This record gives sequence, structure tokens and C-alpha cells, in this order.
Amino acid sequence: MLNHIPRYFAEPSSQGGSRRDFLQRSGQGLGMLALSSLLQQTQGAQAATPHIINPLAPHAPHFPVKAKSVIWLFMNGGPSHVDTWDYKPELEKRDGKELEGFDKNTGFFTGNVGPLMKSPFKFERHGQSGAWVSEIFPHLSKQVDKMAFLYSCWTDSNNHSPALFKINTGMSRMGFPCVGSWVTYGLGSESQNLPAFVVMYDTLGRGIPKGHSQNWGAGFLPSVFQGTALKPQGAPIDDLERSTDLTDGQQRAQLDLIRQLNQRQLASGPIEPDLAARIESFELAYRMQMAAPEAIDVAKESAETQKLYGLDNPKATHFAKQCLIARRMVERGVRFVQIYSGGMDNELSWDGHSNIKANHSGFAAETDQPIAGLLADLERRGLLDSTLVIWGGEFGRLPIVQKGGTGRDHNPHAFTMWMAGGGVKAGTLYGATDEIGHKAAVDRVSVNDLHATILHLMGLHHEKLTYRYNGRDFRLTDVAGQVVNQIIA
Amino acid sequence: MCGVLVAAILAAWNCPVDPARRLLAAEDAKVTDPVKLAQGLDIFKNHVRPALVQHCGKCHLGDDVEGEFDLGTRDALIRGGTSKASILPGNAKDSLLYKMIAHEKKPVMPAKADKLPDDLIAKIGAWIDLGAPYDEPLVKSDGVPAWTRKVIAAESRQHWAYQRLKVGAPPTVADKGWSKNGIDQFIWQKQQAAGLSPNVAADKRKLIRRAYFDLTGLPPTPQEVTEFLNDPSPQALEKVIDRLLASQHYGEKWARHWLDLARFAESHGYEHDYDRPTAYHYRDFVIQALNQDLPYNTFVKWQLAGDELAPDNNLALMATGYLAAGVHSTQITANEVEKHRYDEMDDILATTGTAMLGLTFGCARCHDHKYDAIPQADYYRLLSTFATTVRTEVDLDMDPAWYKQALAEFEKAHAPVAEELAKFEREQLPGKLAKWEVEGAAQAQSAQWLILDQIEGKSVGGATFTKQADGSFLATDKKPDNDTYTFVAQTDLTGVTSLRLEALTDPSMVKGGPGRADNSNFALTEVTVTAAPKNNPTQVETLKLSNARATFEQKGLPVAAAIDGNLGSGWAVDPEFGKNQIAAFDFEKPIGGQEGIVLTITMEFKNNVRHAIGRPRLSVGTSAKPLNLTEPSIAASVVTVLKTPVAQRKPEQIAALTNWYKTTDPDWQALNKKVAEHLAKKPQPKLAKALISSEGLPAIRLHTQGGDFFPVTYYMRRGDTNLKDGEVQPSYLQALMRVDSPTTRWPATPPAGARTSYRRTAFANWMTDVDEGAGALLARVIVNRLWQQHFGRGLVATTSDFGIRGGEPTHPELLDWLAGELIRNGWKLKPIHRLMMLSNTYQQSSQLEADKLAKDADNLLVWRRPKKRLEAEVLRDAILQVGGILDETMYGPGTLDTATRRRSIYFTVKRSKLIPMLQVFDCPDGLSGIGERQATTIAPQALLLLNNPQVRAASKGLAKHVAPTAETPLEAAITQAYEIAMSRPPVADELKSEIEFITQQTASHQQAGHAEPRQLALADFCQILLCLNEFVYVD
Repeated sequence: MLNHIPRYFAEPSSQGGSRRDFLQRSGQGLGMLALSSLLQQTQGAQAATPHIINPLAPHAPHFPVKAKSVIWLFMNGGPSHVDTWDYKPELEKRDGKELEGFDKNTGFFTGNVGPLMKSPFKFERHGQSGAWVSEIFPHLSKQVDKMAFLYSCWTDSNNHSPALFKINTGMSRMGFPCVGSWVTYGLGSESQNLPAFVVMYDTLGRGIPKGHSQNWGAGFLPSVFQGTALKPQGAPIDDLERSTDLTDGQQRAQLDLIRQLNQRQLASGPIEPDLAARIESFELAYRMQMAAPEAIDVAKESAETQKLYGLDNPKATHFAKQCLIARRMVERGVRFVQIYSGGMDNELSWDGHSNIKANHSGFAAETDQPIAGLLADLERRGLLDSTLVIWGGEFGRLPIVQKGGTGRDHNPHAFTMWMAGGGVKAGTLYGATDEIGHKAAVDRVSVNDLHATILHLMGLHHEKLTYRYNGRDFRLTDVAGQVVNQIIA
Repeated sequence: MCGVLVAAILAAWNCPVDPARRLLAAEDAKVTDPVKLAQGLDIFKNHVRPALVQHCGKCHLGDDVEGEFDLGTRDALIRGGTSKASILPGNAKDSLLYKMIAHEKKPVMPAKADKLPDDLIAKIGAWIDLGAPYDEPLVKSDGVPAWTRKVIAAESRQHWAYQRLKVGAPPTVADKGWSKNGIDQFIWQKQQAAGLSPNVAADKRKLIRRAYFDLTGLPPTPQEVTEFLNDPSPQALEKVIDRLLASQHYGEKWARHWLDLARFAESHGYEHDYDRPTAYHYRDFVIQALNQDLPYNTFVKWQLAGDELAPDNNLALMATGYLAAGVHSTQITANEVEKHRYDEMDDILATTGTAMLGLTFGCARCHDHKYDAIPQADYYRLLSTFATTVRTEVDLDMDPAWYKQALAEFEKAHAPVAEELAKFEREQLPGKLAKWEVEGAAQAQSAQWLILDQIEGKSVGGATFTKQADGSFLATDKKPDNDTYTFVAQTDLTGVTSLRLEALTDPSMVKGGPGRADNSNFALTEVTVTAAPKNNPTQVETLKLSNARATFEQKGLPVAAAIDGNLGSGWAVDPEFGKNQIAAFDFEKPIGGQEGIVLTITMEFKNNVRHAIGRPRLSVGTSAKPLNLTEPSIAASVVTVLKTPVAQRKPEQIAALTNWYKTTDPDWQALNKKVAEHLAKKPQPKLAKALISSEGLPAIRLHTQGGDFFPVTYYMRRGDTNLKDGEVQPSYLQALMRVDSPTTRWPATPPAGARTSYRRTAFANWMTDVDEGAGALLARVIVNRLWQQHFGRGLVATTSDFGIRGGEPTHPELLDWLAGELIRNGWKLKPIHRLMMLSNTYQQSSQLEADKLAKDADNLLVWRRPKKRLEAEVLRDAILQVGGILDETMYGPGTLDTATRRRSIYFTVKRSKLIPMLQVFDCPDGLSGIGERQATTIAPQALLLLNNPQVRAASKGLAKHVAPTAETPLEAAITQAYEIAMSRPPVADELKSEIEFITQQTASHQQAGHAEPRQLALADFCQILLCLNEFVYVD
């Protein structure tokens, strides 16, 4: 908050000669941005309170944890839990029977309520944990022992955009900061050369999630905490490419003169830290021009690695690339990566209203191998412990058929998510839905609980990570949320 | 907000609660097994009820229960409180209530009392295991819980912000003449007390730059700087400030601050983020209002109720765009309609609270405000103000003064033309008619088409119909997308066999028509005719039409399609425009009779948009065989008149005859044509659609599975639409109404026939009432916002929170004095800007001084005027101006094109497509009101200044301006660039480094093969200026 600034005014100038020291340090590339974060960390009590001058400087978490980064694989549109991870033999028995007492306003198409429908897919148990996995995930089924399943998630909206806002921001209304923004607000970034919070959406032209960029918006947090969506065409980040009439050397000469002239201005009187930080920001920008293209260049990976993710699998190439980029990002210190599978409209995402079999086998084929490859690759590189991987959508789907087809309508009462790596207790099977998968029944997990758990895994206490906006200390979890301790290693 | 979550938890547990039902005892005992029910009720009556009342009742019965846990009814018991479900019927050991009283779970109950006897705990357990039946509620209630009547305590009225303004003159100070006005006296006094002294004044170059950026958001030109430097008068700055306050750019700069607070955007948000293409009028209102210095109280009132307070004033209507600016879901499912509506009203109230009063009303939606004197009940009473308000669109005359004048000029010019015709009709027509009756009438009577002149017509879609002398109807004004014409004609004719429809030309249409479409076409979708006897009008017969024929048929749109019963097809005439087009149809059998009939002819124009016929005329024929389309015609009634001896004719018959005859007279035709041609030039108002908020007008609807609003507002526990506690009547914040204020002080009675409720007018009256309502706080909040913008920090640091948890004013007397000055100046803001900027306090340098920092590091006592990072819009605008590429076009629709060269305030604010260049410099997202922007420093800002094409274009523009030819000496070019960008010349060592840089860069560009290497090198240098701290921070 703004009233933090003055403390740093006084700090460097109170010791004689510190300005010169600082200038020397910044000449060596440490600079004010790093300095301010050092000051911050030495002042322990201020942990997880970002610095206004460079709010992205890394901060210590509330308590030590293994996880440093998050990769959230967002299955946009609402994947059906009963056709993916939450096996319901009872549905086979009651296939075609009406679901008595069903509230027709549960789903979106209130006039299309059909009878119960079994899953069109075969399920088998896998791994040590014996988790049930649908046949649409042949690769992921080999990775289940890395995962902790949350079978009993539920949310409170039956409509995409409020449900997307809910799971991304904790509020079904528009305009609140998303999880990625809260995490980068709380922890800053390990990489000053790359955006702290990166979002990748569909590159096949199927659109972005309903609710658009608000899904990775910073709400009332400073806009530096919003997600940077990599553009599928052209330069992935705005203004990343140098003007064509300038060479690298010519731009470097510009930067040198900018530094010289700016420092000249600073040369009298006590330091104004934001002006000093601004000098450093030009150096970072210069480096970002090289670091960002390098980070997304998957051609730098070995053929074997590319194959592991399925880059050679025509159905999966686009998502495989994004998963591989995600790994390269977290390797380079990016704090939070979110990848959306599927686009905007019904059927162009996991929103399988008309034919669950075609829809889900299609999107599973796009994502199964890339995600399995990502988990395997993170593990063999020793990155899995420091990377929290999250899989899920904005809600689940109903156990009944949507009349007029063989699809399923939205179900806010139950859905499955899984997490892996980053301090998660691998192989956990937590919670359960009722026997047909209609509602979360045992050890129910609210969205606030999910968020509390994610923050906890990142070393942040969800009740302490607050931001004062218009007189109120806001939290990601508002006034609720309990950490699901059972899935934490 | 918080309650919504709790509510969601409850909803998911499937515990529907209907307050009305709570009173029905029978409903309470929902245990289906009769044996268990009897056993359970027995335990309840004899043991459980007395125990609950005795041990738990103090905290968990009645209106105001702890932890929102109410034992009063079985439903409420099962629902539980903030700790979720209290009991699971049939399962005592897993029930929270049981665990707490058995001391198995904390907090143990009863709180701060001994544990209940074991046998009683066992009884309660048994009762739960039996399904926990109630025979009747534990307490009877009148259904109106006390929380809705909560009166705030006297001490909570004591908070400084709720008080009337303190009247106090600035203190007398011994400042050796430092103080220039009251502000300085207040500031000096506090500084002295703290052993501080003000900084020296900033130098004149810095001062003028500061004033320009602060008031207009643009840098001064070198000429303006020189002029100011050369003006030795003590009023030099005052002159500059007065000029800037009068500049149109003042509104463009300061509107942005208000738009931040109003979370202004031009799209709906949510799923599809549809555009609101007419929302820009609100932005234009704010700019215009500020430029006109509309009194701030009126500014506020119009935004809340301009449609009621000044319905004929464009600006007042545009102002209500404030209420429309928030998000609106573009897809609302059936079970979310009510919640969404309350969310939307909450957004209006919460935004209004923080923007106008610095009060966080939104925090009282689910419970009484945790800190401030805002009971939840006050929230709902305030909220009900907006119950029936919806977004709607109206046509605004954007230039009424022009229209009024143009119309007057037209009418003046038209009078002699009309008089010429009138004179002819007075002086010559009677004679010509008499002559014609002798010489030509006989032949005229043989005409085969009889024009239906006893006819009335109307346009259902709202076009103006004017009946012409020749029996046609001229359609003007409104052009609805789809229209239906209905004509009702009377005729005494018998043996009517056919109907003729003429689409006549008229100068009022494009190329004369005959259609009203932009290309002169029409598309007649369907013609239908019914007949009924005159003396029995209900005996309606639909007449079948056949043998459709026309003078011309557009390919694919034949006249037969006008009688095919298909609303997707029709008759059109492209490209045969500018001439009359005629169609005719035959009846299946002859119609008519001695008693006379009423014919109803309906024409529908639906298979295209705005494609109605412009001047239709209807005739009938009585010939046995099909008539030619172009056979001569005569008005039907005239035939009868002519058969009547002249002496026996009634006056209306003479009029009808004259009226008909004149249309056949060539002289009259010529004069009438002149009149019609002149009329076609009649000016039309310059209309534009505008998004406003009002009541009783059609709401802008998206995909909503339900109504647009709910006329009744309810008190709702925890903000949950399932927990309604009675109807709400509007009122206001108790803390901002005097205890003895009559409640009738603010409400306005709607005038007779009003379509709005006048609730918002009443709210606006309260909001601006300085003596008894919120007016004093309203004034404090806005002067504090101005102070914050000018001085970098508010006298109250939390500019949108004047509540208990907000900051205390550093200079309370100064704050009240400024608020008083605002009111004394008729609520005009410009005098307050003037007052602040002409103070010595404002004119201090930004210099940091170690000893002062040690005493007051936060600058609470305003001993310096800190540097300010330019806001996103100002930075971009300044770059464009310095580069000589700023387009100063004001107002009107905005754009999303990032290459636009207009000022940044004219970017369309689309919520899903925010302008990256603005966002990266901390521009807000239009979702929540922001009073004070962050000023962060991050690498992407530098990236933008280094690589953005528009920054590069501006750099080249500046380079070209300062060095128009290759011969311009470098030193001169650099100096001029500095004057333009920094309002100062470069110093020697700057100049030296820069000449060196440009020289090297020129060589480098030459090597790279660029055509104008020096020019490019100069551009590289100019870009550097735009990157410097000195440019981006105003000192």
C-alpha cells in the first residue's frame, strides 16, 4: 500500500554515501528492484506484503514450503467427473431411469431434463492408489500415483462465466482478483525477466473462456498482478519486439544514454526510490526481450522431450507445446502458469451438452499425453516438488442425459479436481460424491476450501493474505475456506 | 458478499427456507414415521423444549441471535448458523449441536456455563435420533425481525465524518507573508507546531509544467513557457491557471478521475462482454459538465436522477449513464435472476457509497457493517432506491439549438411558398372548378378507378401519416424496422371487383421514393383485406385476393408474394425508383351493398428492414373484367357529389369536390409540387441513441431467463435471496440523518402520470442536503479528492473510505473549510482548483530534505509537493503531443484502435479488451471504482516505451519537427526537442553526450544502410527523452 513508500525514502539516505553504493550496485545489475526486495526480506515481519515500487520482487512466504510455482491445467467448459475420474457403477444399473426429485433448474437447459445415463467410457483402476480412470486417459492413467484426487468439489453457479469467476477468483461476480494474482501478490516473482503470471489459451482459434481476460484479471489488486496472456499469433507479449529500424546495438546505445541521463538527474539530494527503480526497469525490459522468446522456444528441447509431451501427436501438438512452455516457464522462475484447454462456445470446449462421448474423447485426446508428459518431465528434472500442478474445470456435469442428444448439462453440485507435486500427498483419494455422482456427499470441498489449500501449498495463509480495498481487507477466500489437510504431504 | 458464500453452502445442503413457512407448526414436524414422530414430540415437549429455552434461548432465540444460529424453528435449527448445519436429523452423534453440548467439539455449549446434565444430553441425542420433530416454534414472531428496525446508538453518530461542517476561518499566523490564502495559513500553523517549514517555491519552468499537467494532462508548448517566464507580474501563474481552467482539455483530464470512480466501461462484461455502443455519452457528459463547471451537487444529482430532475436536458439524461455503467451478465439462468439483480443493485449502491460519500455501504449487505454505523437494514433501505431502475436507450437531440434555429429559418422561408398555393386556392380555384364542372366533369366521371377517400390510415410502427388532397397518405418521421399500415375505408359502392394500391412518389423520400428505404425501395410483405357491413361492423369477412399485377416487379420479389401468406417474401421494385408504382388485385367475388361496407386494408412491411411504402393510395374498381393499372381514377365520393345538383350540395361535399378537383389542375399541381419540394428540405433534429438509466422504459435485455427487475426489495439475512425478512421502504443512512430530521424532508412526489418512482430524486435530495443529509460529507469527500490529485495525498489518506477504519484527516479544520468554500462557491469545482493551485503550499518544490524527512517522512504536513508519475492516459497523450501527432477531436464514439491519435479518454473501454498501453501504466479495469491509482514501476512499462510503434512514431514526429532539414544544426535540434518535451533547454553536459550519441547512432544507421541515418538517429534521441524520468514524472 502507498503508505509503505516513505519508509524507503529514509532508508538509503540515512547512511552517508549509500547513494553512491546503490549506484555502484545498480551498475552491477543488482539494482533497486533487487535491493528493495532485500530490504523487504530483512524486515521479516513484512513478508507477503509487496513493495509498491516493484511489487513483483520475490517475497518470503508466510511459512516455508516446497512449492515455488503453480501450473493450473484448466479444462474449460466443465469436464464431466462421472466420465473421467469419478467412476459410478450405479449409473450403469440405473441407466435410462428417471432421477426422482431432480430440480430442473440445476442445469442450464431447464427444459431438457432426461433420465440417468451411464458413462460411455470404460473405467479401470490404476497405480498403487487404485484410482479409477476413464479409458480416455491412457497416458494419465500411468501417472495417478502422483495425484491427489478431490472427488467432492462443488460450486455455486450453474453457468459458465459466474462459475469460471468463482473458481478463478472465489467470487461468482465479476471484478475480483484471481488465484494467480493473489499468489503473485503474496510471493512476487522469482524471475524479473519474465512475466510473473502467464496464461495460455486455445491456439486453434476456438476462442478464450467465457468471461474473457477477467478470468486472469487482478481485480482491485494493482494491475501488475494480472495474468499475461501469451498471444497465439505474432509476438507473444505486447511490445516485445524491437522496432525493425533499430539493431540490438543501437537500442543498447539508447539504453546506455537513458541510464546516464536518468542518473544525472538523481545525482543531487536523497534518493527517490521509485525513480531509481525505474532506471533498473529498463535493464529488465532489455533482458525480457531475449528471455521471453527464449522461454517459449520449444525447439530448444530434445526430440525425446518433445515426443514425451506429444508434440508429434497431431491431435495434441498445440496443448503439448503449451505444457512444455509451462515447464520452461516454471524452470525460469515464473510463479503461476494457467493453461486453458478448449475455447469459448459449447462443444468447442469440454462443455459436452450434445454428445459426451465425442466431446470428451476429443478433448482428452488433446490433453492426455501432454499432461502425462508434463508430470513425467517435471519429476525427472526434479521440478515436481517445487511445482504444484492442478487439473480441473469450473463445474461438473449431471449424471442425467440432456434430452435431445447424448450429452450432459452443467452440474454445480459435484466435480473432481486433482493436484500433483508441490507438497501434495501423492496417491490420496479424498471425498466422494453420492452413488450417482449428482452431489458431493462426503468431505465436501468448497471452492474456498480449494483456494485455501492452494495458498497453503504455496506457503500462504489464506486468512492472512489480505488487501485493503475501499475500507475492507479482502481475501481470496472471503470469509470461509478450510485447508484440506488430508491431501498435503 | 460474505453472506453469499454462506448462503451457497446452505443452498448446497439443500435446505430451502421460506420465512412464511416458519410459522406453520405442522410443517415443522417433518418426520415421516408416525411412531418416531410421536416419541420424538413427547421428548421434545417434556424435555428438549424447556431445556433449549432455558439454556440456549438467551443467545439463540429471538431476533438477534448469536452466530446466526436460531433455535426458533426446526428449519432454522437444521439450517444452522455460521458453523453450517447444526443437526443431522436421525444422527445425533454426527450432529454439531450434539457434539458441542456433549463437549466433544469446540466451542462447547452452553457458552460460559456448566455442561448440561448427562441425562438431558442423552434426551436431546435421542430426540435428534428420532428426527428432531417440533410441535410448534419456540417463539412466536410477527414476521418482522428486529434487525430490520435497528436504530444506531448515539455514540456511533459521533464519528467525525458524520458531523456538520465546522465553520472556522483560517488561523491567523505570523508567517512573514508566506501564506497566499487560507490553505497556506492552515498548513503553516501545523508545520510550525511540528518544527517544520515549507519548501521553497519550485522554479517557474517546473511550476508551469506542473500546472499544465495537473489541469489539462498535457505539457505546455515552448511558447507558453516563454510567455510565462517573461511575465514578471505577481498574477502570472493565476493567468495561466485561469486559462487552463477555461481550456476544453481540463474536462478531458479531470473526467478520467471521475470515470475511474464510476467504474465506467462500454461493454456488459461477463460471458460475452457485448458492446454498449451508446455508452460513450456518459463520458461526454462528465467532460462537458466539468468544462461548464456544473455545480458538483447538480453533477451528483443528475447522475442519480437526471431523468427525473431534468428530463428535457440532454446532459441530465446522459448523466444517468452512471447508474448503467456497471457490469451486467449477458447470460442469466433461471435460478440466478434474482441474485444477479441484487448484485447489480449492490454494485450501484456500493459504487455510489465509495465514490460520493467515501462510505463502504457494500460491506453491509450480509451483516451490519463491522466498523461503521451502517446497519444492514440501512443498506436495504438505500438499496431499494434503485429497485425499478433499468438500462435503456433514448434518442437525444445532440444539437437542439441548431435544430431550433434551423427550424425557425425553414419556417420563415416556407411561409411565402405556402402562401402562394393558398392564394391560388382562394382566388383562382373556385372559378376554375366551376368552369371544369361544365367542360370536363362528365369525362372525369367515367374514370374506372375510384379512390377510397373516406378513409383513415395509421402506421402501427409510429410513422406520421398525413392525408393528402389526392387521397394518398404521406408517411414521414419515424422509420421503424418493421411496420404495419392499417387503413379503414367506407364505401357505398356495389359490385366492387378489384383493389388498386398506388405507391406514389414524393420529394420527402430519397430520389422521390416510392419506398422509404435508404435506396428508395419498399418491400410490401403482405396485403390483406377484410370487409364488414357498415351497420354490423363485427361481421368481418376476410376477402381473398387474386390476380396480383404490378407496373414493375423486382427479380425474386414479385407482387404475387404480397398475397402469398408468407411473411418472408414480398413485392419490391428495385431499380425502378423515382416513379409511381402500382399494383392491383381482384376479389374472389364482387363486394359492397346499398347499406355500405367498411373495408380494412392491412399492409405489412416485414421481410426487410425500414422498407415501408412512403405514400400509399388505395382505389377500387367495379368493372367486371380486370382493369388496367393506369386507367384514370377519381375520388369515390366525388362521383356522388357530381350527381347532386349544385344547389343541393352540402358544404363537406363541396369541400370534397374542390379537394379532388384541385389535384387534377395543372396550375395547382405545379404550386403544390413547389410546396412539397420545399417541405422536403425541412430540417431534422440530429438524433443520437444514448444509454441512460430510467424507469418505465424497456430495459436492455440480453440472455436472461427471467425479468429485468423486481419491484419489491426485501430485507435479506446474509444477503441471501432465500432468506427474505419483509418488504423494504426506501430511506437513508441513519448516521447521515439528524435524529430529529423529518423523514418527509427528501422524498419527492411523482407528478401525475410519471413513469418513474422518484425514489432516486429523493435519494439525490438526501445526498446533497448539507444541513440534514449527506451533503457535508459529499463536499468533504470531493474536496479531498481534488486535494489528493493536486498534492499526491489526501488530507484524508483513504480517499474512498471516510469510515472508522479510514484515515483521520491530517488537517480537519482545513478539510471543513475547503468543503465550506466549495458550498459557498455554489458547489463549483474550478474555484477550488484555483484556491489549491494558487496556494504557496502547492507551489513548493518537491525537494527531499533529510531533516524534514526525519520529522515527517510521510509528508503529512505537506512541506513539499511530491513528484507525480504521469497517469497512463496523460503519459500517452503527452507523448502524442510532443511528437506533434495528437488529434484533438473531442467527444463522440470512441475506438479500440490502439493506433488512434486522439486523446486516451476517447478509447472505448471494453472490459475484455482493455488497451494494453494504458493497462501497463496502472489504468483501472472498469469493474470497481478506483479513487487513487497505483503508480507501479515494472519492466513492461520500459518495454513499451522502447518498442511501442506509437512511441516510435511520436519520436520520429518530434525529430522531424526539430530538424526539418539535414542542415539543422544538431545543437539547435536537441535544444528545441528539450524545450518541447521537458520545458527547458539541455545543460552543457547533456548536450555533449547527446551530440555524441546522435553522431555515433548516425554512423551506425548509415552502416546499416538506412536512407536518412541522421534523421533516424535524431528519432532515437527523441525517444530517449520520452523514456526519461524527467518526462514521466512531473516535478
